[in-house]
Amino acid sequence: MAQCGGVRVHQNQFIMSKKPTVQPALHKVIMVGSGGVGKSALTLQFMYDEFVEDYEPTKADSYRKKILLDGEDVQIDILDTAGQEDYAAIRDHYFRSGEGFLCIFSITEDESFQATQEFREQILRVKNDENIPFLLVGNKCDLEDKRKVSFQEASERARQWGVPYVETSAKTREHVDKVFFDLMREIRARKMEENKANNGRGKDRKKKSIKSFLFCYKH
Amino acid sequence: MDFESPEVMKDFPGLYVSDTNKKGNNDSDYSDDVDRVTKKDLLMGKRKDKKDKKDKERGYAALEGESSPDESCDAKSPSKTKKSKSFKFSSKSKEKREKSRDKDATIDNKKKDKEKKSDKKSDRDKKTEKKERKVKYADDCPDIADKLPIFGVSLDLAIERSRCHDGIDIPYPVRACINYLQTFGYNFEGVYKVTGSKSKAIQIKKMFNNRELVNLNDYDVPTVTSLLKLYLRDMPDSILTNELSIRFEEAGAILNIGTREKHLKILVENLPFQNKLLLSWLLLHFDYIICNERLNKTSIQNLVTTMSPVLHAIVKPYVPPLTSASELPLETELIEEELRKQESLLSQIHMEIHSGFISKSREELMWEVQRIITQLKRTYKNVQKDKDQLSEKSNDDKVVQPATDSEEKATTTEKGEFEESKSLEENNTMEIPAEVVANTASEPQQSEIKEEVQPRPQLRDIDESDEFTSLNNAITLLQVKNNSLLQLKEKLRKAIETEKNEIHILSKQVKAITEPTSYNVCNIGGTSTNLDEIMDLLSKENQILQIKKINLVRYIMEQQEICIDIKARLHLIGLETLK
Repeated sequence: MAQCGGVRVHQNQFIMSKKPTVQPALHKVIMVGSGGVGKSALTLQFMYDEFVEDYEPTKADSYRKKILLDGEDVQIDILDTAGQEDYAAIRDHYFRSGEGFLCIFSITEDESFQATQEFREQILRVKNDENIPFLLVGNKCDLEDKRKVSFQEASERARQWGVPYVETSAKTREHVDKVFFDLMREIRARKMEENKANNGRGKDRKKKSIKSFLFCYKH
Repeated sequence: MDFESPEVMKDFPGLYVSDTNKKGNNDSDYSDDVDRVTKKDLLMGKRKDKKDKKDKERGYAALEGESSPDESCDAKSPSKTKKSKSFKFSSKSKEKREKSRDKDATIDNKKKDKEKKSDKKSDRDKKTEKKERKVKYADDCPDIADKLPIFGVSLDLAIERSRCHDGIDIPYPVRACINYLQTFGYNFEGVYKVTGSKSKAIQIKKMFNNRELVNLNDYDVPTVTSLLKLYLRDMPDSILTNELSIRFEEAGAILNIGTREKHLKILVENLPFQNKLLLSWLLLHFDYIICNERLNKTSIQNLVTTMSPVLHAIVKPYVPPLTSASELPLETELIEEELRKQESLLSQIHMEIHSGFISKSREELMWEVQRIITQLKRTYKNVQKDKDQLSEKSNDDKVVQPATDSEEKATTTEKGEFEESKSLEENNTMEIPAEVVANTASEPQQSEIKEEVQPRPQLRDIDESDEFTSLNNAITLLQVKNNSLLQLKEKLRKAIETEKNEIHILSKQVKAITEPTSYNVCNIGGTSTNLDEIMDLLSKENQILQIKKINLVRYIMEQQEICIDIKARLHLIGLETLK
């Protein structure tokens, strides 16, 4: 694998011949937002086409799904985090490994919208990357009569952050697929950029030595 | 017996007196000894060990021959005593019972009992009885073995119930076994490897549980090792404790001997005192056995192999958490068990990451384990749902409940305060939520009626008001609970705030400190491996502390919730009494 600089197609073929099934690209998506805004509902709707009425706070849940993204087989890993502050410590660990974020609030609850600011900051702090794939999502858009956060207000914040804003309804499935697919496209684009950027990989060597050192902790 | 012998002699006068006495007896007459054993065997329908026994006893005799024939008149048959089980002594306390052997009166009574019975027995039995000076007491009250057993209970309880009265807190049966094996086991060929009579071991266990005086010298080495194994196997909690045993396994798997030793030491230090003590005694004893490999042909490998079934029972047979590839279980209990494992694994990963060991593979693992947990939870829920559907009626009822709840709330307010207070008087039950549950769960029909009640209230007036009261009470209860929970939340939020500030301050300090120290580390350089090891140790230690902390926090939270619950109930009762 040392000579991986030149032709990408060639490299792919090489892997193909070695392993009959190529591992599809894996994108890691993290759901963040305050408690009760519908992170789990969106996730479950996307994963299993089901809408769960009863609320049960999540500690952390993770899902994997194979999907077709613009004609390409990919896998999506979704991590549904806890909205409650109780699990903030664990949240950090997941944020670090996330490749894209859906930052969700409920359009019926202003507090949850305000909280997105904090989540954004936390993510940027952990990822240390202004351009991390990120979508601001206003959920529960089926409850138009209970709306507390206007579309303009939310779009304005998204614009400031330089991210897209989408309104969804986990109940009616409106824009549910869209947010996940949009985010995955961003992640994919981002990864391509990165691949171009660091073709010479000297980093991995160093990491390996750390890995072997850490190995004694594993069982 | 280089091991604690003088003290032990002092500590167990009974045991040793009888030991030596018996030895003396052995010297003079082996066959008697054999007979005695045989009698017991007869009771159990077993005589297999006769020959072994004989050989063994001879061995002891040769080792420590010392006779005190004058005591022979006290001879008692263990089996006899068991039968003569006299309720007379049942009222005595444990301690008293233990000391009772010093009391002549007791002994006389026993003797009489025994002699009466022995008349009915065969000649041989009689003969043995005379010569036997084995002291066994039947002053067990019939229940003690059932209610306060020594085997199969937690270490604390076992120690409390069978204390060694010299301040060394090891369950007496273990102590007795170790004492015996230190003396007779070290030169026994295949000690621990040769399995003894299981039924005998069980019989001795019963005797211990019955607080009978057990003289292990009546038995052979394999039986006593079996007994010790039996005790260890019966322990409900691992000797390494359930919380730490996984960590012990991990530490044991560390390849670097030095690191492994250090980790194990830390873990041992974290054991509860009593577990540590028991472990140290066992290990010293095993060490002694191994040191005499030349005599007993038991190498460390032998001992490990032969003890492994027992040690596996101590350190539960370990099935590692499943990886995503393997099939997940479908039965609730298996799911629960797997879920616990996975969650423990996950928290461990989190802790490792938390202490700064971040690697791609670790993060990968974290996601994967999280995914398994999610999947397990989903299957668990589905299984539960299926179960619920079996008991469909009660399920339907639950769905109905919230609707009627709000409806009735509305009607009660309409009906006004008067009727409310009246119905409160009618219904004095304190366990309101329980009642609500009972109403909904066990009487589905009634709650259906409840729904119908609304349009024609005259027909079911009394019933209705009853329902109102209980629901109303439940509502107030929930309100009170809600209030206190909100208060708690506020309090916790404040606590979090202060903690955050603290973290902020500390991280600033850390920043200030790390810069100069990093310079220092560069200077040291050569000792970095040493530092790595220290780092290892510290992080392990931290992890253990973290686990403890998390458990404590969880416990505190649970307690607080219980407190709120109780407070709410008190409040409600207060309201009721006011009315």
